[in-house]
Amino acid sequence: MMKGALETDRLLNSMDMSVLERQRAYLKYHNPSFDFPLAGFFSDSPMINGFLGTPGLDIPVIYSETTVEVCDPSLSISPEDITGSGNFKKRKFDTETKDRNAKKMMMMRNKEEEEEEEEEEKSKITEQNNGSTKNIKKMKNKAKKEENNCSNDSSKVTKELEKTDYIHVRARRGQATDSHSIAERVRREKISERMKFLQNLVPGCDKITGKAGMLDEIINYVQSLQRQIEFLSMKLSVVTPRIDIDMDDIFTKEVVSTPMTLIPPSHGIVGSGYSHEMVNSGYLHFNPMQQGDTSSDPLSCFNNGQAPSMWDSDVQNLYGSLGV
Amino acid sequence: MQPTSSMKEEFLKKWQMGLQIFRPSIDNTSVSERKKAIKLSADVAMASLRKGTTCWSRALIEKTATEDNFLVRQMLTGIKAEALINKKLPKKIVCHRKIVRRSKKILRRKSRSASEEAAVKAKRLVKRRTQGLRNVVPGGEFMSNDILLLRETLDYIVSLQTQVNVMRSIVDAAEAGIEQ
Repeated sequence: MMKGALETDRLLNSMDMSVLERQRAYLKYHNPSFDFPLAGFFSDSPMINGFLGTPGLDIPVIYSETTVEVCDPSLSISPEDITGSGNFKKRKFDTETKDRNAKKMMMMRNKEEEEEEEEEEKSKITEQNNGSTKNIKKMKNKAKKEENNCSNDSSKVTKELEKTDYIHVRARRGQATDSHSIAERVRREKISERMKFLQNLVPGCDKITGKAGMLDEIINYVQSLQRQIEFLSMKLSVVTPRIDIDMDDIFTKEVVSTPMTLIPPSHGIVGSGYSHEMVNSGYLHFNPMQQGDTSSDPLSCFNNGQAPSMWDSDVQNLYGSLGV
Repeated sequence: MQPTSSMKEEFLKKWQMGLQIFRPSIDNTSVSERKKAIKLSADVAMASLRKGTTCWSRALIEKTATEDNFLVRQMLTGIKAEALINKKLPKKIVCHRKIVRRSKKILRRKSRSASEEAAVKAKRLVKRRTQGLRNVVPGGEFMSNDILLLRETLDYIVSLQTQVNVMRSIVDAAEAGIEQ
């Protein structure tokens, strides 16, 4: 019982797992029946229960504790590790094969438990803390169990060290931290961002909640736009034989008028150059009569340029006046 | 992200250029032919605005190029048509389907609770919609992941809006011209 007390002292001071385990293993080999009272002591220990009772909600306090805990094994194990493992190996060779098989089974089970616990791990900050609580849980489990092994323990310590190495991605509390779910989360966030953009773009989509409905709306909108284009090109093809020349004239007018109203100096030159080109390219002399006609009336709304941001409003006016 | 007037202007220029190239076919044919030519030129003009940076535009150009190769090529001379037409689209993923199907079967074997069942159903609905979107957006079948698909859809919608705006204004102006 003295040793048990000593161990709990160690536990509270440094949480040095492997040493503890090794000592317990040592103890067990000398006196197998001694394990049971020890187990009782461990599970009943109020300190441990108290520690378990605060599962990482109080971040600053526990963070400081956990940093000590995480750092500790790496510092304190290294000198003892060699001799400890050596001892263990010697003992391991002494034991019977049956015993070894049982140990292996235990190891497997422990690892499974560990993985489960890993999945349960919550957040970047509380992860380390969870690790420490995990340690204690595991110790409890092990104390209750009749057998334990050193190799599992050391592997766990190394695992934990690895884990502290590559925690870079942020995960909120309650989110899984394995790489797959993190990648999936990033993907989902990107998708929802895009969906938000689409929501702004597609009229009537902002009232719909749910991805399926939104996608429906988007599909409908795209199809309607495609149909509109079809329809408009049809309309144009019907109209063009008569105002074949008008279209070109509209082009020139628009090309001239838009840059003039929007960005006067630089684009104006380009625009006018373009219109010159147009005039020279020979659609003007095709039918001067009609040209004069068209430039006088419907296109005046393109020319009269009320204010700088004209194009849209002009087009809107056009729609309004035509009742389309 | 509304269609900007600079985009409209550019589209107009491109389209006009295309129409000039198409003019011989527009002048002396039936209405349907003319319509086809107009639509084709508008599509190519719209797609060429993106200069081959987006999947949908490349797919659209490829599609139109198979319809009327010579004219499209002529139309795209300004922006390296050959490179655009021959530029490879991302590969379709076909070979993994088998594996996916098999894994789905394995997944299905597990018994699910009601909430899980509902989630699976919702997911299926979304998947079907996504597939629908893929069919609607040109080149959608090449877009392997959802993020790319949505981005392309965004761009495509903006371009379509531009096209519709410009075409409508021209139709309106033309109609007004006829009326008077």
